Amino acid sequence: MAEIRFVDVSKVYGGGHAPAVRDLNLEVGEGEFVVLVGPSGCGKTTALRMVAGLEEISAGEIRIGDRVVNELAPRDRDIAMVFQNYALYPHKTVYENLAFGLRMRKVPKAEQRQRVEEIARVLGLGEMLNRRPAHLSGGQRQRVAMGRAIVREPKAFLMDEPLSNLDAKLRVQMRAEIARIQQTLKVTTLYVTHDQVEAMTMGDRVAVMRDGLLQQVDTPQRLYDAPGNLFVASFVGSPPMNLFEAELDRDGSRLVVGSSHVDLPRDVTAERPGLRAYAGRRLAVGIRPEEVREASGWDGARLRGRILLVEALGAEQLVHIQIAATPLERADLVDAAGQPPGPSLGVEDLERSVTLLGRFDRHLLLSPDEAVEVAIDPRLLHLFDLETGLAIPTVDVPVAAGVVA
Amino acid sequence: MSSVTQIAPTPVAPVVTRPRSRRRLHKAGWNALALAVLLVMVFPVYWMVSTAFKPGHDILSYTPQWFPAHPTLSNFTDAMHQQFFWDAVKNSLIVVSIVVALSLVLAFLAALALAKFNFYGRGPFIVIILGVQMVPLAALIIPLYIMMSRLGQVDKLSGVIVMYLTFVLPFAVWTLRGFLLGVPKELEESAMVDGTTRFGAFVRILLPLVGPGLVATSIFAFIQAWNEFIIAYVFLHTPEKQTLMVWLASFTTLRGTDWGPLMAGATLCSLPVIVFFLLVQRRIAFGLTAGAVKG
Repeated sequence: MAEIRFVDVSKVYGGGHAPAVRDLNLEVGEGEFVVLVGPSGCGKTTALRMVAGLEEISAGEIRIGDRVVNELAPRDRDIAMVFQNYALYPHKTVYENLAFGLRMRKVPKAEQRQRVEEIARVLGLGEMLNRRPAHLSGGQRQRVAMGRAIVREPKAFLMDEPLSNLDAKLRVQMRAEIARIQQTLKVTTLYVTHDQVEAMTMGDRVAVMRDGLLQQVDTPQRLYDAPGNLFVASFVGSPPMNLFEAELDRDGSRLVVGSSHVDLPRDVTAERPGLRAYAGRRLAVGIRPEEVREASGWDGARLRGRILLVEALGAEQLVHIQIAATPLERADLVDAAGQPPGPSLGVEDLERSVTLLGRFDRHLLLSPDEAVEVAIDPRLLHLFDLETGLAIPTVDVPVAAGVVA
Repeated sequence: MSSVTQIAPTPVAPVVTRPRSRRRLHKAGWNALALAVLLVMVFPVYWMVSTAFKPGHDILSYTPQWFPAHPTLSNFTDAMHQQFFWDAVKNSLIVVSIVVALSLVLAFLAALALAKFNFYGRGPFIVIILGVQMVPLAALIIPLYIMMSRLGQVDKLSGVIVMYLTFVLPFAVWTLRGFLLGVPKELEESAMVDGTTRFGAFVRILLPLVGPGLVATSIFAFIQAWNEFIIAYVFLHTPEKQTLMVWLASFTTLRGTDWGPLMAGATLCSLPVIVFFLLVQRRIAFGLTAGAVKG
């Protein structure tokens, strides 16, 4: 077992393309499970493949344990990789697939057999050792691919979207299984996915990437609670964070949202010393859907709105509420957080209205077109610089770890 | 009267059965056509084999003999004792084995380059490979003869081998490229991470998976080289250097054709192709890559 360390790693493909990975600095501690997450084309898979040795490193260095592996062939790095499409050898049986890595490393035959059978038993593949991959179900193939990595007892696991080819139900099941296996074996793991739910549920720490740049690395909870910039804020969380523009008034004590205002209590302003500089300027405001509350029975600032749509999810309901505010228009927002225009809005309304998503108790009786008042706790607001997209630092989170504008 | 109306079939039944019977008729029509095509294809082969077993007077009788009434092996002994038969057998075997072996190696490496590596001009190259196959042989044979004679390759087996390769390779490269493209690159990558070298991944993973492609290609090369007549006829003058197909033509002389031994010779010449095909056809298990990756 060993840690994986990226030091100023960049990857440039020929042909004048923008670099796929830029100055990546990241450490995966010994036995740690780190998830690299980001939209497609953000460079996460390239980063993983550079660790595996399947992609050359243009600049910087990658260390596994205390060795710099830049120039090492994949076979000499002592890592195991699980591919998105499993990459099982179709002409070999399950047993031969599992034993292949051991055979290549000249492990004695008897030990090979013992280790393969042990893994097959653990993964529930005991009955299938003589089958070819073509005769396995998707979930079974996935297990064989995992088993092939585990049986080698490598220094580190690299996983490239291993669950994305499974159906939704199996994915949830395998998600837990992989996390459990990793916790049992305590093997250093770098896991790539585009699915932020997978990232949040599986990783000890999550590294968010975008356009080849690492945006933020932190534990899933802190990533959720204190996103370092607008991209992370809009990427992490499902449904995504509500984001809109607001103006901080002259004395910096209240936010003007459309025609309403939100008073900022003294502790909120005291917590963010940098906020004073924004007096009289516009900034980006974010609030998680679960913090948007129906006003009755709650303190806090009130925003008046109109219900556009109610989605009943069973345990709760997702309510789309149109409020008067300025929508945020930045290229770095993830599509999901973009504001779909309401169905009945005129052009001038479009400029000045935002759809707030609220997660409401299922017992509230709400119906579309109804006027509604929501309460927002100013302590739970996320504030961002409109120009840089960076979170306005708070005292306990001066600058979130590894944040990039 | 009333009982008649009771048992009269409802109008629904014939409506249902009529299209079904028509479909059956339709199917029978296609089957008959297929059978006719099969007969046309098989009859010459049958006629060749049956003639090979007939004595001379049966072959030339005005009423056709559908079955050899007096089967004899004398045509075969005649054919085998014909001059240069064993020279021709040897020449054909040399030409075919070298063409098959060389075309497999060259085509596989070329296909590997075309399928797995990116280089300048790859796209046009692939198109040109297909394009050269469109040029008719008759248009090429005279310029080729002149060129080969300048190179001193006329009346030599090596010249014919090179000529055959030029005709076999484009097809072989094209076919193998298709097979190689069908193998996901993750399989090699996975093998490399698992502990093989790049060459090891090639030998242990890629080669077994394109096996069916190699078999298909070798069958094609074998048939092409074995059956080829025009080039061999034009390029090989000396009787000792001729291949079997040219040797067969020697039964037709100015004085007429010796049908019995010719058919026996033709039957003998067809055997190796059939044997070779039977030997390797079981290896053409298409879809071997199924299950490698999620499809």
